[in-house]
Amino acid sequence: MLPLRFRTLPAALFAAPPDKPFVTMWRGEDDVESVTFGEFTRRAVQQSGYLASHGVQSGDTVVLIMPQGVPLMAAFVGAMLLGAVPAILAYPNFKAEPAKYRFGLRGVSANLKARLILVDPGFPDELLRELTGDRDVRVVRCDDTVGSAAPADAPPAIDPERLAFIQHSAGTTGLQKGVALSHAAVLTQLNHLARAIRLDAEDRIYSWLPLYHDMGLVACFMLPLACHVPVVMQSPTDWVMQPAMMLQLISTYRCSLAWIPNFTLQFLARRVRPEDRLGLDLSSLRALINCSEPVRASSMDEFLAAYAGAGLRSNVLQSSYAMAETVFAVTQSDVTGSGPRRIWVDADVLRKRRCAQLVRHTARSATCLVSSGRLLPNTEVRIASDDGAELGPGGVGQILIRGDSMLDGYYNRPDLTAQTLKDGWYWSGDLGCLLDDELYVIGRKKDLIIVAGENISPQDVEEIVSAHPAIYDGRVVAFGRYNPGLGTEEIVIVAEVREGDDLRNASAIDRELRAAVGAELRVGVGPIYLKPPRWIVKSTAGKPARSTTREKLLSEHAELRVAET
Amino acid sequence: MTADHGRSMIEYIGQKLLRRPDTRIDETTPLISSGLIDSLALVDIVLKLEELTNLRIPAGKVQAKDMDSVALMLATAVRVGKPKR
Repeated sequence: MLPLRFRTLPAALFAAPPDKPFVTMWRGEDDVESVTFGEFTRRAVQQSGYLASHGVQSGDTVVLIMPQGVPLMAAFVGAMLLGAVPAILAYPNFKAEPAKYRFGLRGVSANLKARLILVDPGFPDELLRELTGDRDVRVVRCDDTVGSAAPADAPPAIDPERLAFIQHSAGTTGLQKGVALSHAAVLTQLNHLARAIRLDAEDRIYSWLPLYHDMGLVACFMLPLACHVPVVMQSPTDWVMQPAMMLQLISTYRCSLAWIPNFTLQFLARRVRPEDRLGLDLSSLRALINCSEPVRASSMDEFLAAYAGAGLRSNVLQSSYAMAETVFAVTQSDVTGSGPRRIWVDADVLRKRRCAQLVRHTARSATCLVSSGRLLPNTEVRIASDDGAELGPGGVGQILIRGDSMLDGYYNRPDLTAQTLKDGWYWSGDLGCLLDDELYVIGRKKDLIIVAGENISPQDVEEIVSAHPAIYDGRVVAFGRYNPGLGTEEIVIVAEVREGDDLRNASAIDRELRAAVGAELRVGVGPIYLKPPRWIVKSTAGKPARSTTREKLLSEHAELRVAET
Repeated sequence: MTADHGRSMIEYIGQKLLRRPDTRIDETTPLISSGLIDSLALVDIVLKLEELTNLRIPAGKVQAKDMDSVALMLATAVRVGKPKR
């Protein structure tokens, strides 16, 4: 069961029982695709033949842009079978502007030095037009009816220390940060993870998570592949349009494990009609693991109350702290225990003195923190102050991580690698504290906005807004604010207009800014505040001071403060 | 689909889902691609559409772009909707 007995991911796949179900892709009642491990392996071999026929060789990077499904997964493994290094990018949605999409794609494929970009037959021509003229990269439409279908008896010999794949974080800046991971690092992580969640042959995973994200790729594709466990999948869009189907699929297929970002709990509690909850049997689910956003007790309680009649186990909600740079999980709560530990700390002391001081849960200043669990084996965490000094128990500082399943570095970005990987320690930028060997993640990466599990760089938002002709160039601040109604953060923007008179067109400018941010970053925007010239607070260097401007906005707009508490 | 369906959808979206409630929309106003509503609101749109049309809309048959305006929503309901059981 444990994957460390294999040296590479293809070796783990080839050892799977061929008749055991692997992927069930659910698109609708009459549109379900199921493949066994044997059939999946055959299709991956077929894809490797197809890629080889287009010149892909060992060591080449291959960019995959295809809808969520078996062809994408087979192409990913097919590239690996050649010793090539696949990287999945998000499939463009209809909000993407062709020129901007092409620009982003060109940047990513250049950084990856991609040999080939593989897209599906339905990929829009207008998004590829310029790329096909680029001599350095070939763009090919996937055709899984072509190529060698000869069964391969043995996996190819691949050095375990070679790169297995590259995973990206979201956002245009994030796309330049491809996390390069070796087979050895991935298998080591999967081994720790499988032990931590007590994975066994009877488990079945459910997922709506995108495969370009570490939760979807590692926990819901690589883990089942290497541990020979079935996975039932939906696309993220299908899930958003019909969230009840997640629970119906878990109920029907008797799924036992799923990973979700925090907002999912609230979304399921509020957006699924009571009549759609009837008949659900969620008793098979032994762990619903809250990951990739700060874990909120209120969201967990709301979900448990909404589905109290569906047979949920009392400890079904679990937590984890994970990131692409460590392949996936750093911590995991004890899935055999009573659920993630909760503590109450003094909110004022936490904010002003950056220290988690325990108080009674009835205290006026009490705020609840939910543990993300304990460290995985061979993983170390240090909490560091701003000057790098190690803090003791309860001290809140930056989370530094060292372990045996780390990134080799950011692909072709030694500058970024040197900034974040020092003496073997990865400086996460996240804020947290350790108490009784449990990790509490208190703040996200510096300034990063996490919208429904997607990491959004505020600089990306500010750049897009600055490009609007009515906005004073560079006088924009974007930040995240937790929206209790959504159960996740939303993007708040404050921007100065060039001329005071422009405020008369505020409604039109607002609409154009939403469209621009949506087109480029594919996320919705929360409140936008347009201000007259010289409103934004600048730093001594003449740049907008994000935190001071944020405080000024909060002091002027009571509606923002309500959501903050 | 009737004009009443269109008016009811416009009214519902205007009152419940628009990020800027003062914005006026018609049947052809782009909603998701323009950022006027969030894609997380798709679930509310599907449910309202099912309620108004008395049809079941299989989510797997619908892409987000099929729901980008009230006119597209109604056309999608006609194309993929099935009588409720």
